[in-house]
Formats: sequence, structure tokens, C-alpha cells
Amino acid sequence: MSYPSEGTLQRAIAFLAALGVGVAAYIAISESGGGSPVCLAGGHGCATVAKSSYSHVAGVNIAIFGIFGYLVLLGSAFFANDVARFGGFVVALGGFGYSVFLTYIELFKIEAVCQWCVASAVLMTILFLLNATRLIGYAGTAEALPGRA
Amino acid sequence: MTDGERRSQLLKLAAGAVFLAVAVVLVLIVVATSSSGDGGDTKLEGTAAVNKRLAGIPQHGMVLGDPKAPVEVAEFADLQCPFCKAFTEEVLPPIIENQVKNGQVKISFRNFTIIGEQSLPAGAAALAAGAQGRGWNFVELFYENQGTEDSGYADEEFLEAIAKGAGVSDLARWHKERSEFTAEVEETTAEAQQLGFSGTPSLAIKGPATDGLEPIDTPSSAGDLEAAIEKAE
Repeated sequence: MSYPSEGTLQRAIAFLAALGVGVAAYIAISESGGGSPVCLAGGHGCATVAKSSYSHVAGVNIAIFGIFGYLVLLGSAFFANDVARFGGFVVALGGFGYSVFLTYIELFKIEAVCQWCVASAVLMTILFLLNATRLIGYAGTAEALPGRA
Repeated sequence: MTDGERRSQLLKLAAGAVFLAVAVVLVLIVVATSSSGDGGDTKLEGTAAVNKRLAGIPQHGMVLGDPKAPVEVAEFADLQCPFCKAFTEEVLPPIIENQVKNGQVKISFRNFTIIGEQSLPAGAAALAAGAQGRGWNFVELFYENQGTEDSGYADEEFLEAIAKGAGVSDLARWHKERSEFTAEVEETTAEAQQLGFSGTPSLAIKGPATDGLEPIDTPSSAGDLEAAIEKAE
């Protein structure tokens, strides 16, 4: 099985993680004053989700955890070693798993969907797939081997 | 350790992490599903009792009972008012059980917001619930969980919990329409003032024997209200 070159994966991870930082930062900033993100397609899903008790863990807005996670993923994209590959995979796995949980909560508990949360969940899903591909394709290699088959 | 051994070890660790993540997500979902969850942290009382009490009684907007009922009792109330709560819980039940259920009387809830700034959004929230046929469930459940007068308890989370508990099925629509009902709350408040009311709850009655909607003294018992209904018939 052939994989994209590790450099390509790193660039894609860096790009999507940077987007993720932006999305999570927007959610965190818009909720910081007691407000909520603006749903671009209209509706009140973002306000409903933002005001629900699930938007905070131990008093901290979950978007703050999101920013931190995306920053770690961004950092991992700049190194081609096993620590970065495995660390990126574990963080993306955690982010993906929590996104699955939050999407379930939105659909079946809060019964409202926030586009910004969906955007973050999609980004985290793609980042998980990219990091998994990177780990499976390049774990154990001393450095990036572009186009390794 | 060779590259191959390191690779094998990392992939085993990754597989373990995936297994752990799946288990954690499943546990989180099970815990979240088993918690009460009505509006997040807000725990409601009386949800089942209210919904059972009102089951089977027609509701159109904020009117409880058959819309063709010959007598209408209009209750002008503020959801934050403890006297309105007492009136609804002590005076109205026999009337609802008898005259409303048999189609003789209908009761309309009209907002008369005099307590505080949360009364207006609370009233609008009740009307938005009414648009989905759950207005009286909202009002009665609000009263069941009423807090200290104008203490700030009737916030967004509380209103959403009441709406969910009251059985409002389309919460997105309820959220959207709440602000649109603000004008109606202000209209019924102005109507109450035009009728000469200054406190809550205030009542007016309309029937074949009245000249439109006529104010009556607030009944202190179901018997007093029955007497007023008889006069209006």
C-alpha cells in the first residue's frame, strides 16, 4: 500500500490544524463575554449549544481545550520523528473521540446543532485520519521518506 | 531496538489508544444519556405531574380548553409572581377538571409583566411554547419550579429546561420564535392596564351574559370562580 509522502501529510496537518485554531479561537472569544458564536446559516443552534452545560468542563470552555489540541497538532506537523507522529496521533484521536461525543450530545441531548462545532468536528476527523495515515505509514522511520511504499 | 521493532511497538500502542478512546467515548455517552439532562444542569420538579394533568385537554396558543367554550376566563399573570403560582395551583385545578374538560369554559393565560426584567422573556418563551401546543404545560411547569421573586433564576438555561420539560418538540423553532412573541407580551400587559389592573393575578371573564371581557375580583377559591363563571353564562 502506498501512502502520501510524509511531507505532504505534514503540510495538510499544519494547514487544517491552523484552521482548527481559528475555529476554536472564534468559539472561545465569542463565548467569553457570555455571548455565543453567530450561526452563519441562521438559526439559534450556536446560542443553544453555547449556553448548555456541556460547553464547559470544570468551568473551562471546551473551545480552550480545542485551541490547545489544535496547537499541539500544528506543532507536531513541524517534526518528522516518532514522538511527533505518535503524539499527533494520540491528540487527534482524543480530539476525534471527544468530537464524536459532543456531536452525540448536540443531536440527542441539547437537540441543537452549532455549525462551528460541526466545522471543528470535521477538521478533527480529517486530522485524525491524516495522523493515523502518518503513523501507520512512517512509524519507525528515522526521518521522512517521501513516497514510501 | 531496530526500526522495525520500534514501529511494531508504536503501532501496538496506537491500537491500545484507539481501544481506550472508544471505551471512554462509550462511557461518556452512557453517563450523559443516563443523567436527567433536562436543560443541562437545571433539575425540574413536577414535569410528569404537569404533563399528566394537562394531557388530553385542547390547547390553542395560550388558551386551555375547547375554543368554542361559551365562557372564557382570562388570567393576567406574571410567571415570576408567587400569587399567580398559588392561584394556578389552588384555584384553577377544580375548574380545569370540571368546566374546562367538559367544554363549558376555556382559560386564557395572558402575560401581565410587572415583576422584573426576566418576566418579559419568560412570557415570550411561554407564548412560543404555546405556538407548539405546550403553552399551559410551560406555565404550570414554570410555576412548579418558580424561584424567589425576581432573583434572576429565570435565565436562558431555566427557560430552556422548562420548554424541554413541558414537551416543546421543536426547540430550534421555539428559540427562533421567542423574540417574535415579545410584542404580544407587551400587548397583553397594555390590555391589563387598560382593564384597570395593577397587580397579578388579575382576572376577567367573557360569556353570553357579559359585555365583552369584564374584570372580576380575583377569586380566592375555586368556589368564587365558579360563581363568577355562572354569572357570565
